[in-house]
Amino acid sequence: MKLTEDDLYRRSSQYKHWCFTPSKLALLRQKTNIQASERVKANVARQRAQRAKNLDTTSASDSERANTPGVENGADGASGNGGAVGDKEVDCLTVAEEMRLVDKFCETALELGNFIKVPAEVTATTIQYLRRFYLYNSPMTYEGQNIARATMFIACKTEGWHIPSSDYAAKFANVTQEQVLAPEHLIIQALRFNLEVRHPFRGLKGAHVELGEMVKGTYVPLEWDKRTGTQIQSEILKLPKRAGGAPMNLSESDFRKRLEYDYGVASNILKTSAQLTDTYFHYTPSQIMLAAHLLADEPLTLFLLATKVPPPSPIYSKTVDTIRACAAKLSSHRSYTDSSTSLEDKEARDKKEKAEVLAIIKKLRQCRDPDKMDLVKLNEAHKRDAVHDGELDERKAKRRRLDRENAQKEADEFWGPELPKNGAK
Amino acid sequence: MAVSPVLSPKPNPPGTKATTNASKAKALAILNHSRSVSSPIAPSAATTPGDGGQDLAEQMNDEVRRQFVSGSRLGEGTYAIVYRGHFRSDPSKLVAIKKMKLNAEFKDGITLDSIREMRHLCELDHPNIIKLYAVFTTKDQNISLVLEHLPRGDLEGLWKDHSIMYGGADIKSWSNMLCQAVWFCHESRVLHRDIKGNNLLIAADNTLKLADFGLARGFADPGRPMTSNVITRFYRPPELLLGSQHYGGCVDIWSTACVIAELALRDFFLPSETDLAQLSVITDVFGIPTETDWPGISSLRHWEVNFKSAAPKRPQPLSFWRQRLPLLGDDGIDLLRGMMAMDPAKRLSAEQVLKHAYWTNYPRPTKKEDLPRQGDGEKKMGEDLKRAGGELESGRTDKVARKLNFG
Repeated sequence: MKLTEDDLYRRSSQYKHWCFTPSKLALLRQKTNIQASERVKANVARQRAQRAKNLDTTSASDSERANTPGVENGADGASGNGGAVGDKEVDCLTVAEEMRLVDKFCETALELGNFIKVPAEVTATTIQYLRRFYLYNSPMTYEGQNIARATMFIACKTEGWHIPSSDYAAKFANVTQEQVLAPEHLIIQALRFNLEVRHPFRGLKGAHVELGEMVKGTYVPLEWDKRTGTQIQSEILKLPKRAGGAPMNLSESDFRKRLEYDYGVASNILKTSAQLTDTYFHYTPSQIMLAAHLLADEPLTLFLLATKVPPPSPIYSKTVDTIRACAAKLSSHRSYTDSSTSLEDKEARDKKEKAEVLAIIKKLRQCRDPDKMDLVKLNEAHKRDAVHDGELDERKAKRRRLDRENAQKEADEFWGPELPKNGAK
Repeated sequence: MAVSPVLSPKPNPPGTKATTNASKAKALAILNHSRSVSSPIAPSAATTPGDGGQDLAEQMNDEVRRQFVSGSRLGEGTYAIVYRGHFRSDPSKLVAIKKMKLNAEFKDGITLDSIREMRHLCELDHPNIIKLYAVFTTKDQNISLVLEHLPRGDLEGLWKDHSIMYGGADIKSWSNMLCQAVWFCHESRVLHRDIKGNNLLIAADNTLKLADFGLARGFADPGRPMTSNVITRFYRPPELLLGSQHYGGCVDIWSTACVIAELALRDFFLPSETDLAQLSVITDVFGIPTETDWPGISSLRHWEVNFKSAAPKRPQPLSFWRQRLPLLGDDGIDLLRGMMAMDPAKRLSAEQVLKHAYWTNYPRPTKKEDLPRQGDGEKKMGEDLKRAGGELESGRTDKVARKLNFG
């Protein structure tokens, strides 16, 4: 009468709504990109048309929405060549460029988390929210900085680290409470109201504890495993350091150090590479956990797996294949090679990376959706529409009150005012 | 060319620039086609490029919203309005739509109750837990939860209604459904933290369903503190009253046992007026535990004030239980006392509860279809769903619990 990890995971919203094959994921991103590009072009064209019209009629009517952020950058708004320059087609971001930006937003969120000192899982949840958000939204529509800040605020609430929004906003320079709160609905809607993110962190802690038991000789093997705890202990102490390496024979305390080291490496991978790649969309938390551990210590991870699934079983080899594929994905991220790369190489790589991202950001400035620049105003407009209904009700209520008072007054005029009560003068 | 943008509805006048990506061009053509009616000058068309100017997420939200039809209002509270509704595709399939109100007092956007309820109900799919079919937002940015329609009232209403007669087998049946729900929550690593009679609703087929996850949270990592100010007072276990900030499923087990005792007693089992009084009501039955009974008790935050210089109290003997709860039988009483061990470490886990002999001993639990039922409980459902967690039926609101920040 126990639910397995698998039973639980298959019921989760993460599995039902946020698991994709690589091709499905690519298709979804393509769809989002096309739609966003379309809208940017449409809205820019509309704005240009309006501008041209304003130029023609000199006095623009008030009814027209003055929501034209493109205008103030005087460069192409100069009177003489109004329409002609405006006809140039907007050069929108490609899917690849969008993904680079989203990765950048996620890296920023990682720094943000360190900066405001929230626990690792709050940061990780923020990043996964962001990755999910940008499956259905383009950076051209919603710019990353505001969204990342607001997303982290939501993640604080969902992970039980709620900070009042005023205190939260005060942690940043020039950020208002409204800016933090305005995109909340937008984000939660894009997350399809699925707020639970299943992380691999706790799994890693569990594996760490269990490996500790094995080293101590106190581990109780599963039913099919005929080895004793002591046998497992002597086997584990002989494990080579690297795959294919010579068997060792570490002392219990030395092996404990190895466990600590592995845990540190794996934990770091889970906090960085696992967050900054698409692993959560393709793999389960336990697969990600084992993959990170595999990168830290392959012989030990395979040994651990072999205590859970008998190696002759086809499930064993299938699991190993999946974990290896996941590990390949994790190690493909540049944060993984940080420690093994020379400082110059790293600097050169980071510089190149930075230049590329800056170029995309520059390009983004030309293709932002003008309608979605100011999220605070956008949110206020939404609310205004809603409050409008309430106002109507209020007016109705006021009319009814006046009617009632008038009726009372008329009655008083006819019957005379109420008589004073007993005892009163 | 200067005027062409004004007249052309297309943002992308043909011939200005060759589109590079062939598949993209095709997709664009489709989008362009569907948009050909709109005019950029009309204000309504300002955000109408074919898709109604909507984000993909907005479109999905609208799709979800259109699946349901909202009907008459069943109840309104401070935090939510509950409507009766049904699936558009099948009007016979009823739902309850809980529209969360924006809370003017809460300055931080979507309330924590709504967040907790959404987060956990999305993940919990079990026959004895209220089903969350969908969530959507309305234009005015109110979140609506589409919940299972549970028209037969709640468990508290049931024992309060003296026109209804029931016996030990019925209690066993209801209790078992409750314990399965609690077990499933705990297996899913969720603490409910507000189990009580009026959070247990009854479906048309008499199935009992655990509802209101507004105070729920995931199990914390060891060592990370949680608030001790949860669970409606009558159902709050001693460790929380003593200020413990580290706890697990055991807090829900205590509340569950209170509900079972209530059913058998047809009255509140451990009622009190204040938090302080609650602890003495509990110790009147269970005695004041010493450090030997409950290792670590003296290090709890509120131990000194409550117990340090208190006169010793002994727990009530078995005869007390037999006299008060005859409907449960000796095995039922044994289970209940296991669930109400003062020391949370000694309390039964949800799994141990389900393995107890009480369930398989005579009498067998009543079959669902044969359970006594209340008449019109739809209004009750409205009342129950709109209520905020931590509130007592009589309206004596445990306001403190609401205002604190739940860790």
